[in-house]
Amino acid sequence: MTRLCEFSLRHPETIEEAARLLAAEPEVRVIAGGTALLTNLRLGLGKPASLVSLEHIPGLDKIEVSAQEVRFGAGVTLARLATVPAVRASLPALAQAALTVAGPSHRSAATLGGNLCLDTRCVYYNQNEVWRRSNGYCLKHGGEVCHVAPQGKRCHAAYSGDLAPLLLVLQAEITVTGTGGVRRMPLGQLYHDDGAQHLTLARGELVTEVSVPLPAPGMQLAYRKARVRDAIDFPLAGVAMGLRMDAGRVAELHLALTGTNSQPVLLTGTAELRGAAADAALAERVGKLVQRQASPQRTTVTTSNYRRQVATALARRLVLELAAAGAGQSRGTA
Amino acid sequence: MNEIASCASHGEGIPAPTHAAGRRQPLIDGIEKVTGRARYTTDLPATQALTGAILSSPHAHAEIVSIDVSRARALPGVRAVITGEDCDVPFGILPIARNEYPLARGKVLYWGEAVAAVAAEDEQTARAALDLIEVEYRTLPVYISAAEARAPGAVLLHANKPGNVEREVNNTFGDVDAGIAAADLVREESFHYAEVAHAQIEPDCTLAEFDPESGRLTVQSVSQVPYYVHLTISECLKMDPADVRVIKPFIGGGFGHRTETLPFEITAALLARAARGTVKLQLSRAETFTIHRARPETDIRLKIGMKKSGEITAVDAEVVQRGGASAGYGIITILYAGALLHTLYRMPAVRYRGFRVYTNTPPCGPMRGHGGVDMRHAFESLMDMMAETFGLDAFAVRRANLFVAPYQSVNELKVSTCELAACLDWVEQASGWRSRKGKLPRGRGLGVACSHFISGAAKPVHWTGEPHATVNLRLDFDGSITLLTGAADIGQGSSTLLAQIAAEVLGLELARFRVIAGDSALTPKDNGSYSSRVSLMVGNAALAAAEDLKRQLVAAAAKRLEVGVEDIECLGEAYRVIGTDRMVSYRDVVKSALEVTGPLTTRGTYTVPLDMQGGKYRGAGVGPSPAYSYAASVVEVSVDEDTGQIKVEKLWVAQDCGVAINPLAVEGQVQGSVWMGMGQALCEETEFVNGRPLRGNLLDYRVPTIVESPPIEVKIVASYEPNGPLGAKEASESSLGSIPPALAAAVAEAIGVRLPGLPLSPDRVLAALHARRREERLKSALAGAR
Amino acid sequence: MKRLVSLWLNGRHREDAVSDNLLLLDYVRETAGLTGTKCGCDGGECGACTVLIDGEPRLACLTLAAACEGKRVETIEGQAAGGKLSPLQQSFHENLGTQCGYCTPGMIMASEALLRRNPRPSEADIREALSGNLCRCTGYVKIIESVKAACES
Ligand SMILES: Cc1cc2nc3c(=O)[nH]c(=O)nc-3n(C[C@H](O)[C@H](O)[C@H](O)COP(=O)(O)OP(=O)(O)OC[C@H]3O[C@@H](n4cnc5c(N)ncnc54)[C@H](O)[C@@H]3O)c2cc1C
Ligand code: SF4
Ligand code: FES
Ligand code: FES
Repeated sequence: MTRLCEFSLRHPETIEEAARLLAAEPEVRVIAGGTALLTNLRLGLGKPASLVSLEHIPGLDKIEVSAQEVRFGAGVTLARLATVPAVRASLPALAQAALTVAGPSHRSAATLGGNLCLDTRCVYYNQNEVWRRSNGYCLKHGGEVCHVAPQGKRCHAAYSGDLAPLLLVLQAEITVTGTGGVRRMPLGQLYHDDGAQHLTLARGELVTEVSVPLPAPGMQLAYRKARVRDAIDFPLAGVAMGLRMDAGRVAELHLALTGTNSQPVLLTGTAELRGAAADAALAERVGKLVQRQASPQRTTVTTSNYRRQVATALARRLVLELAAAGAGQSRGTA
Repeated sequence: MNEIASCASHGEGIPAPTHAAGRRQPLIDGIEKVTGRARYTTDLPATQALTGAILSSPHAHAEIVSIDVSRARALPGVRAVITGEDCDVPFGILPIARNEYPLARGKVLYWGEAVAAVAAEDEQTARAALDLIEVEYRTLPVYISAAEARAPGAVLLHANKPGNVEREVNNTFGDVDAGIAAADLVREESFHYAEVAHAQIEPDCTLAEFDPESGRLTVQSVSQVPYYVHLTISECLKMDPADVRVIKPFIGGGFGHRTETLPFEITAALLARAARGTVKLQLSRAETFTIHRARPETDIRLKIGMKKSGEITAVDAEVVQRGGASAGYGIITILYAGALLHTLYRMPAVRYRGFRVYTNTPPCGPMRGHGGVDMRHAFESLMDMMAETFGLDAFAVRRANLFVAPYQSVNELKVSTCELAACLDWVEQASGWRSRKGKLPRGRGLGVACSHFISGAAKPVHWTGEPHATVNLRLDFDGSITLLTGAADIGQGSSTLLAQIAAEVLGLELARFRVIAGDSALTPKDNGSYSSRVSLMVGNAALAAAEDLKRQLVAAAAKRLEVGVEDIECLGEAYRVIGTDRMVSYRDVVKSALEVTGPLTTRGTYTVPLDMQGGKYRGAGVGPSPAYSYAASVVEVSVDEDTGQIKVEKLWVAQDCGVAINPLAVEGQVQGSVWMGMGQALCEETEFVNGRPLRGNLLDYRVPTIVESPPIEVKIVASYEPNGPLGAKEASESSLGSIPPALAAAVAEAIGVRLPGLPLSPDRVLAALHARRREERLKSALAGAR
Repeated sequence: MKRLVSLWLNGRHREDAVSDNLLLLDYVRETAGLTGTKCGCDGGECGACTVLIDGEPRLACLTLAAACEGKRVETIEGQAAGGKLSPLQQSFHENLGTQCGYCTPGMIMASEALLRRNPRPSEADIREALSGNLCRCTGYVKIIESVKAACES
């Protein structure tokens, strides 16, 4: 028998009802696929009085493809996202990124919403109750200090979802529904750079939809994930990139990271690369951007230095790869 | 000769004996496994069982000032609460080194050590009771590395072991100084190896039933060594061993994790007795990691002297193992690291210094390839580096050091058969070494290495004077034969193998056999499944038991057919008068054989001949074996220089295991073994921060997944071991050690850097690459300045 | 909180009172007494508990039993329906796709999910489908061979 705290499982049938349930008590959590939430509850991280399941809410599993965008319900499973032909055709890089998450038996339950709202991770946090208690807990949960940066006042746990960076690059927007109504915002606004409180959702709010504008013609997209094993491994660093070249020069470049900071980060400074040729110097400049904005801390068993280096290396390589792919494609269509 | 002799031709209508040995035989208990019917310890019906739970130490090193269990005892639903007070008998697998208690007494020596335990009516109550136990500790300095524990003035973990050194080994064989002097090249290198874990997929669990009426105890547990569990539990509980019964259910892997009695097994028994009932003690994955008993963190300093021809003239090695908090098999592990230097290549002179050190980490123990694996990596790596200096190929340097069996090493180990030369030939050819080595594109590499292992220790851990192995065969009126053995099938397929041997002797189909393994009320005592002893030792016992049974059946047939026994030929399903068509069916022979005596039980035993039991020096008991198995491997890798990621493209392994009684199982064992070596080489490691394990789960302790696991081609080379049953010797450990060095050599070719230890995790590889680039830049800057 | 949950387990309808916090793994093993589904880790890391829910591979250790209302749950015990081993079971047995057997039920269920979706998988498909299932005994070689052989039979 496995010990899970006592809770009651609610199955609201509308989003509004879900929002009401979430706002009604302080200790309530959304459960979507449960692959991340239940792991944490099994470790004793949180003792919610109720879990609000999204499973019976109609429409949360929709995938709608229009001429401008693809709209995903937050409850779409990663298995579906990766296999539905319409997604594979219009957003192949996203389907590919979804396939890097955990393993297939996770992905048939895991949802897009759950992936975006994934709790941050840290070796001092993702441990069982006995372990954490013996370590005096920590800032993020139940304690006073951060064991990673004891002098600091904040938590550096790393956001490690695999889909957010590519969605940031794609300029996805999310719909958030709460008791106060519905708001739509760029995905980036879902996050704070604080490992203990990385989501900006207010009490009673949940993510209901993700809209992804179809990439401009010629935009090359990809996600690269550094990890030790090729499955069931969170990203030590993940790099998503969108690159559009025009006549051999960068026309548009977006770059985002996961696994390195407490939130997924869309890198700033990419606009300055416009007009650059696809050469070693460009790779160098892209690498510099990553090096400066990635801030991995000692939150994984793998060194933070490695995570920064590998993020940099992946980004440098990716920009040249995508530039070459873009060049190949434009030659092909010409 | 590798094939078991094929049957002689027989006339029309005359049955031919079945050859159960030598064929690709699925597991005798495979159907249970694929249908989910196989019951592992945690699956045993135990509706009435109380739930056991353990309170573990939050400190890695501390004195226990006081324990107050009164509130826990008072909690409704709690049926027993026990502490170190309840067992004052220390235990440990070696009679000379018993310094562990099931529940800590006075001091805790590692984080997670059990301090108290409860049995309660349900899980929730048990957990609540743990929270009510109050323990006051006075913390002591924590020593995680061997160096910290050995530092002057360090607090002693065990008062009788100065310097926290459990065992220091100083052995010199041959004239090392002369050998070094005679060498054309002498080189010394240091290596560091991370600790690894068995990570068998089944977490630990024990079910203990105490019957208050009879005072008897039945224990079912995840053990590889039910006999030692039996012995230790009766000692620790001060019970007559006759009142204890130990049963081994299906076991979900062992790899050495379960080769000694483990503290939770005794605790479960103590709880059952205290609660006067049945207790199930299920450990979590995290707790299972803390039980540990695996390959220690190791530092090796190795010096080799070599001639231009590649011939090794002398070896000088120093090994320090971080042994963890208690003795366990520690002394044996540190001795194996030295002893196994002698029997792979010809070694004219070897000096070996070993230190087994007590530290505030979970106790280490034996793990597949016991004691030899890290040393093998150091040795093969240094040998490669030196060969490079002479411009010798990696195969050439190994061939320059082969011995021809029979061979006696300078430390008095006797090797009866060794087909390592054939193993090398095969992997060289199969991997296309000659045409490919050195010509691969950048980022790719090939490496080769050899390894070996014993087929059971010639000296058992507990010397009792009894045979090393005993098997009973029971034949009853129904004609079915039950093989009774104490040997634990833990997934390696020993039950299948033993049945095959007996069936081969009797010429019968396996369908006539049942195997009962590991139930002390039914099966003869067996030392257990470790040091690869089962195939050879228990196999020989099974062979002897079957031969005895055959003699009795032949006698019965002779009587019935009214001829002499020498005239009877056993054809399995029939016995006939040689050269005639007069015969009697197996069923009728069985009837005749049972007529006077009733059901038959035969007994076969095996004892290692005295002249194979090794020399007389201190530590000579570790190393001798009736047979040694050999393997050579080639590994091909590609390395991503941007990320430090290694991809293993392919493994080729040639195995000398004598005759393969079950080639299918041998392949499976070899594949599993080399793959495990690959995991250690690539990414497996434990880690502690202030004594707390950082990787006590299967996400951070990274066992390779199916995606990055390469194709593995196995060749069983022709071989016959006269000391083994039907010519067989061990097949499941000897190949492991070859992989880490072969893989490291392949990486060295791919990236031009050799890393001084394991694992070759991406961060370490990348750091090494960066260091190389810095060095190159520095060199070219210096060259430019000049 | 307890509720009445009705579902199909290996094709048979059941109704049980379960607490909301009961994991499907414990429901299957303890409430229903089917111990073929294994537990190998503290949550989501090993795949030993893989079952099928409405035909999809799922981890029973990260699924709430109460969330399985109305669903079809299949475990290893349901695979030899009609007293005959499934092609995968037969093949894992004959090709030594199982050694200690502890990962086997999960491996077979994950393979079953694959073959229902894709009866002729490539080796890469097989590796991908089993990538969440750890085995410590076999080095996976004979597991891959077993799945391939099952497709051919
Ligand atoms: C062994 C293992 C390996 C893993 N590896 C990876 C990996 O490589 N990459 C990766 O990205 N993830 C990984 N995961 C984590 C997880 O499986 C995925 O991130 C998954 O997508 C989470 O989705 P879910 O639906 O299961 O989320 P849940 O577990 O249901 O929820 C996760 C969190 O999000 C909240 N939440 C869920 N839906 C919403 C919503 N609509 N609105 C607001 N909040 C919501 C929940 O309250 C909870 O806090 C792994 C998990 C395990 C156990
Ligand atoms: S980063 Fe610090 S505060 Fe955050 S989880 Fe880790 S130890 Fe706790
Ligand atoms: S038990 Fe390990 S994944 Fe479910
Ligand atoms: S067969 Fe033992 S874990 Fe796979």
